[in-house]
Amino acid sequence: MIVENTPHRPGKRVHVVQGEHAISADPDVMMTTILGSCVAVCMRDPVTGIGGMNHFLLPEGKADGLDEGRRYGAYAMELLINELLRSGARRERLEAKLFGGARMFGGLSDVGASNAAFAEKFLKDEGIKVVGSSLGGMGARRVQFWPVTGRAQQRIVTDTHEVATLKEVPRKPAPPAEDEGSLELF
Amino acid sequence: MPAASAIKTLIVDDQQTMRSLIRTSLHAIGITNTREAPDGEEALKAMIASPTNLVITDFNMPKLDGLGLLRAVRAHGPLSKTAVIMLTGRADKELVQRAVQFGVNNYLVKPFTTQTLKEKIEAVFGVLT
Repeated sequence: MIVENTPHRPGKRVHVVQGEHAISADPDVMMTTILGSCVAVCMRDPVTGIGGMNHFLLPEGKADGLDEGRRYGAYAMELLINELLRSGARRERLEAKLFGGARMFGGLSDVGASNAAFAEKFLKDEGIKVVGSSLGGMGARRVQFWPVTGRAQQRIVTDTHEVATLKEVPRKPAPPAEDEGSLELF
Repeated sequence: MPAASAIKTLIVDDQQTMRSLIRTSLHAIGITNTREAPDGEEALKAMIASPTNLVITDFNMPKLDGLGLLRAVRAHGPLSKTAVIMLTGRADKELVQRAVQFGVNNYLVKPFTTQTLKEKIEAVFGVLT
């Protein structure tokens, strides 16, 4: 998450990069991200005005015969939801807007479609209302989200330099950080 | 060596997706006797209603969180010996320390693999057959 104060543009811009999430109840905050195959879920509680955005890319393949992508995605969603709930949002009021999941790479697999399908199924299973979505297609998107109002905008990115800055590589996440800086207790 | 299929397990998490993932992993390692609860309160009711050998519980949950559930289990005579494994995020070191103080048997950092889940359970029960 990168927070910028831009003097020529009032308000604060929070850029959410792949693998991260951000939340805010500040009406001056606008969250942004650039998506190719990745998906961003913009979620908010319309009563409290607390909202947030995540940005994830599920790993391809099925490790150890189970669905590693789903596991990683569920964790990414949980991080956002838990932080919203800790900040006063109510689970039953949460609503979401979905963006991304484009087909950016050639080949047989469509990583973007897998990401989009995961996000839609997750929200359906968890009973979280989807109030808007723009998924699929062939082009990268720049998304802006104002968490307090729930307003979201997207534009298709046609600037080849900007598209080139996308560093989306379908990959497995780092191995679960079982002992990465963790406590040796057992 | 305990038979995996004999371990009566309760999965506690407020996310249906996460419960489903844990259940799938447990079934893959032979632990097929599973029940589920969406929060600590429901988990306690389920444990009182039916014997449970192992609880795998999330921390962040409504009503009664994982730490509250752990404390309630340890304070409730008939349930107090139940094995409890806590699910945590990477940044929850303080939580793990508190859970240890309250008698957690092990913890598991999300997102975890089936193999890691198995190792954590075996660290509590011994090698599963």
